[in-house]
Amino acid sequence: MIAKSLHRILFISMIVIGVVWLAVPFIMAILWSLVDPAEPWTVDLVVPPVMSFYRWSYMWESSNLKNALFNSYLLAPTVSIVTLTFSIPTAYVFGRYNFVGKEIAKLLCLLPLVTPYFVLSVFLTATIISFGLSEYRVAAIVLAHAVMFLPYAIRIMTVGFEQVSQEHIDAARDLSATTFSRWRVAYLPALRPAFFASVLIVFIQSIEEFAVAFILGSPTFITIPTLLFSTMGQDFVRPNAAVLSLILVVPNVVLMLFLEKLLRTANPAMISGKGLN
Amino acid sequence: MFSKYLFIILCLIPGLGIILALIGFVTYIVIMQSIGLNNLFGEDEFTFKFWEKIFAKKSYNRSVRYSLYIGTFSTIFSILLAYPIALWLRKPFRGSLLISSILKAPLLVHGLVAAFLFLNVIEYHGLVNQLLQYLNFTDQPIRMRNDRNAFGVLFLQTWKNMPFALLLLAGALQSISDDTLDAARDLGASIYRRFIDIIIPLTISAMTAAAIIIFIGAFADFTFQKIAGPRNTFSLSQLMVEYRGRMKWNEAATVGVTLIVLSFFGAVFVVFIINKLFKYPGWFSPVKMKNIQSIIGGKK
Repeated sequence: MIAKSLHRILFISMIVIGVVWLAVPFIMAILWSLVDPAEPWTVDLVVPPVMSFYRWSYMWESSNLKNALFNSYLLAPTVSIVTLTFSIPTAYVFGRYNFVGKEIAKLLCLLPLVTPYFVLSVFLTATIISFGLSEYRVAAIVLAHAVMFLPYAIRIMTVGFEQVSQEHIDAARDLSATTFSRWRVAYLPALRPAFFASVLIVFIQSIEEFAVAFILGSPTFITIPTLLFSTMGQDFVRPNAAVLSLILVVPNVVLMLFLEKLLRTANPAMISGKGLN
Repeated sequence: MFSKYLFIILCLIPGLGIILALIGFVTYIVIMQSIGLNNLFGEDEFTFKFWEKIFAKKSYNRSVRYSLYIGTFSTIFSILLAYPIALWLRKPFRGSLLISSILKAPLLVHGLVAAFLFLNVIEYHGLVNQLLQYLNFTDQPIRMRNDRNAFGVLFLQTWKNMPFALLLLAGALQSISDDTLDAARDLGASIYRRFIDIIIPLTISAMTAAAIIIFIGAFADFTFQKIAGPRNTFSLSQLMVEYRGRMKWNEAATVGVTLIVLSFFGAVFVVFIINKLFKYPGWFSPVKMKNIQSIIGGKK
């Protein structure tokens, strides 16, 4: 009886906490993005007196939003492709071969996860300057993002390669399939969810990444997070920041939900970090 | 055999090789610049003067203490909150998926957006101040942003990291078979003993992984500190970016080395503490308690 009551109290508390710490701030952000500059939202009012899409059109027309969107959505797919390309050979040997030092090699692949991103960004900038490669900053951002997100891609692809059935490969070989055909009929169907999951997780991470884009890219290369950061500094204009926050968060939530569905197919326990050490 | 290993090495180069090359190279540059070598500007000269200068600075020592404070407490709060929730959600019940989704939702929210949402709640014109004024608790809005004790930053770190800890711990807890727990129950183990002797040892690796990643992320935090942290104290990342902005690359390098070294030792310390406290059954047995007291007291 006590356990049942406790369970009910916990359940209701969690729903209330969820609403307070998630729904309320987001509703506030939506309301702030709709505040019309003609009638300010004063403290005594629960909702803005006049609501319009002025801030949305203002941000679109007058800020660097278009540029930031273009950069972010060009950078992320590029990084995804580069990272996936780098990760496949390594994931293949992790998934299909046994060799001395495999566990150490797998552990070393996690290095970017425990390296402070700001140290990487600041001193990658120093290296680029010292080699006189300042004009290749964007390429350096792609490389830095690829290295930072390689652990995710390698881990997901390794799980994918482990799931390829040896019987399928042997059957294809027995039927005289060429190397390409074996890949097409035995590997690709099993690897497809891992491919999509890797691309998607790197895409999301790259869109959200702030440290490298901020240190290496600023002031010329603007992404959505760096633009949002600049609006939250000294000249904090809350409606503008609200618009940018929603632009940053909404597509990512949709992509993440899609990703979760994919990860379920590609063995979530292995990918989500369980067994990291 | 040789060709097999050659193939493996060639395959490791694009993934592991690139990781080791970039991380290794950046680490090398940071260390060299902190001792006056590989300078961007001026002559190279092997010296410890940048270290002497930085150790003498109050701002540096304050930043080290501050970053350790944020890293440690963010880790503790996140794990302490996540563990009981993960235990509660171990067995599915009606609505457990909804609760789990709500609690894990901050994982989908970018850190900067989280900081903005938090500002919306605590700013002069935020929800809390509106509520306090509406209820006539105060006439003037209260300043809550950039508080001196960094409670705002700790709140944000916990908000962002607790779902991550929950994700790992829930996975580990759900993988414990009911047979194991039933066997312990049949042998007369109480709920407490089952928790101490079975659940904790079987979830220790997930707890350690979560603790390490949360500690390093919070310890090296820049954005939450810059937006919601105290104005009179810098985090180590903030201090490093500040030096870099003033083109003091060698000083920035000393802070960078501090970040790397303390992140590493912090992670080792986390592993040590968790293993020392939780690894073996009988956590609160007299022998174990003696161990805990010796860890806290620093005695062997």
